[in-house]
Amino acid sequence: MAKNIRKAVLLLAMLSVIVGMFTACGNKKSDDGRTTFTVGFDAEFPPYGYKDDSGEYVGFDLDLAQEVCERNGWKLVKQPIDWDSKDMELNSGSIDCIWNGFTLNGREREYTWSKAYIDNSQVVIVKSGSGIKKLEDLKGKVVIVQADSSALAAFTGEDATEENLALAAQFKTLQQVSDYNSAFMNLESGSADAVCMDMGVAKYQLEQRGNKFTMLDETVSSEQYGIGFKLGNTALRDEVQTSLNDMLADGTFDKIADKWGLTDSVCLGEEGTDSAYLLDSTNVTKASFGERLVDIVKQLSSGMLATLAIFFLTLIFSMPLGLLVCEIRKSRIAVVRWIARIYISIMRGTPLMLQLLVVFFGPYYLFGMKVTATYRFYAVIIGFALNYAAYFAEIYRGGIESIPKGQYEAAEVLGYSKVQTFWKIIFPQMVKRVLPPVTNEVITLVKDTSLAFALAYTEMFTLAKQVAASTASIMPLFIAGLFYYIFNFLVAMVMEKLEKRMQYFN
Amino acid sequence: MKKLLEITHLKKSFGDTEVLKDISMEVNEGEVVAILGPSGSGKSTLLRCATLLETMDAGTLKLGGETACEDKDGVSVYVGKKELREIKNTYGLVFQNFNLFPHYTVMKNVTDAPVCVQKRDKNEVEKEAKELLKKVGLDGKEDSYPCQLSGGQQQRVAIARALAMNPEMLFFDEPTSALDPEITAGILKVLRQLADEKMTMIIVTHEIEFARKVADRVIFMDGGVIVEQGKPEDVIDNPSNERTKAFLQKMEK
Repeated sequence: MAKNIRKAVLLLAMLSVIVGMFTACGNKKSDDGRTTFTVGFDAEFPPYGYKDDSGEYVGFDLDLAQEVCERNGWKLVKQPIDWDSKDMELNSGSIDCIWNGFTLNGREREYTWSKAYIDNSQVVIVKSGSGIKKLEDLKGKVVIVQADSSALAAFTGEDATEENLALAAQFKTLQQVSDYNSAFMNLESGSADAVCMDMGVAKYQLEQRGNKFTMLDETVSSEQYGIGFKLGNTALRDEVQTSLNDMLADGTFDKIADKWGLTDSVCLGEEGTDSAYLLDSTNVTKASFGERLVDIVKQLSSGMLATLAIFFLTLIFSMPLGLLVCEIRKSRIAVVRWIARIYISIMRGTPLMLQLLVVFFGPYYLFGMKVTATYRFYAVIIGFALNYAAYFAEIYRGGIESIPKGQYEAAEVLGYSKVQTFWKIIFPQMVKRVLPPVTNEVITLVKDTSLAFALAYTEMFTLAKQVAASTASIMPLFIAGLFYYIFNFLVAMVMEKLEKRMQYFN
Repeated sequence: MKKLLEITHLKKSFGDTEVLKDISMEVNEGEVVAILGPSGSGKSTLLRCATLLETMDAGTLKLGGETACEDKDGVSVYVGKKELREIKNTYGLVFQNFNLFPHYTVMKNVTDAPVCVQKRDKNEVEKEAKELLKKVGLDGKEDSYPCQLSGGQQQRVAIARALAMNPEMLFFDEPTSALDPEITAGILKVLRQLADEKMTMIIVTHEIEFARKVADRVIFMDGGVIVEQGKPEDVIDNPSNERTKAFLQKMEK
């Protein structure tokens, strides 16, 4: 009886917690009783929104948002997001708006917009003394932009001007990176010749990074920033816009702009800033499901090939390399043995993503060697092969050590040489023993290929994220997931066949 | 008569444990010698030293009349690798656990070393191997894998594999101790047949009856030394040494 009462109390307590959670959510979401305002921003986009030295999220846009919240009695929630996932964040309701130097040009119909408040242009930054002085000097050069940035849209987007399209066509390649830090690393190491980005960001970056870099006088395109809300969410947009208008009227807006050195760029209230704001954003025609599917698969196909290339090349190099490392690891000479041990320890003890960065940027930062753009792909393969070789080496070692000593003795008495003993007697038996753990590694590799994005190498997953961002749909990610699953299913099937084929002995 | 195995003043230690203390022995061509003794007596180590699987600490070793190692100031000094490989060609060894190559068929187990190590003609070797397999009673098992065979059959493959190298003598390390008693008889039959063909054999065993039935001479070892040796009927039926007597009594129980 007492037990039952205790159970009932527990159940009640749990229920009330759950109900509490629901009401809390309800509070946040209801338009009339809004208590919080969640701003999504890219934490690496100074001066609009970024992490300062003390680890706080600060910036011009966040200051504006803070002021708007204070005027409406909301609590500001600063939510850093992955730029590629911004649409999913917005559509799922996990953020209320994207407020982060967000270019509205070309995206007019994808969001419900505030009035434009900053006029920004895309500028080009090159290494000082590179000889690139004008836009036309970019002919045959490697140019970097952030994935799904307005710079990318300016060169490749649907609304890109003829002029910009012609310019982009002359580049050697237009490379996408996930953040500006990596863009500048590419530029500094010589694997890229120019970075194209927003004026405000460029000014800030140049201030931080000293005179190693120069900004070209010519600009690529003119564009405006607005606050993006979920398509159709005009109610919230209007509330925020009203506050902004008030702030502009009483001078608060200019004060904040002045604090961040953006006074020259402010355009709120000027003529021509409300075209996106006035758009009836509700009737947007969309392509049929089938058409979109075909289109997405088409867009993803180059990524699939890239992933397959990484996968097969990594296996081709890492499997024999692993055997070599394994043999070195078993060397009779202690120093040599230790080198292999340290190698394995580092490769297994640090993130693969970090290793990829070291392989790619290491030659420049450690030895001052110029890194070329074509090295990007080689770096991916080298990084993967080196990492996987360490794992394979240990798997092989386990396999070799599990083979009875008697096999070696029998071979020795029969007069086999050391090399013959290894290749004829030990190796085939080892292969059988290591197949299950090797299968595990190979399957992991299929999924690990997505880490190539660290070097801005566009494989399947990176591409899927980019396509998802540009089509504002989760479908590309779903297709990518399906691709990985089918790929792994085939890998598992092949490995199982191999295992079966080796069952004739034990 | 040619001496195929000559060991003098062999000493061998593992760490602080002295396993073989001053062993000297010879085996003549055509002789069948059984080495008996309790476990820990050093008989297996003696065989491993004689087949170059272990290095001797001190003493000399001659196989098939060729010097494998000489004693220099109480330390065994081996000849070069190339010479050792030549010497290894003169004898075969059959293991307690057979140590067949599991990924090779019976045929390949028997023929691979003659073809790949001795560089003999493959067709000729295969013809010979078929006869050898017939001889050890494994007719028709050429394409089987070791895991498909019984222990006794595997041991007979191991014997055929050793014989295919055309050795001057054969060593056996406890050839029957991993097998059931009724299967031992089959192995014994093969060994008797080889003895009739004047194959020189050195057999380490602790099975007295096995030694009695096959050996021309029995060497009894205990505590790392040769305690007694002679004809089987003398050593086994009329042992003069107390330790031999104790061992034989224990084994009979």
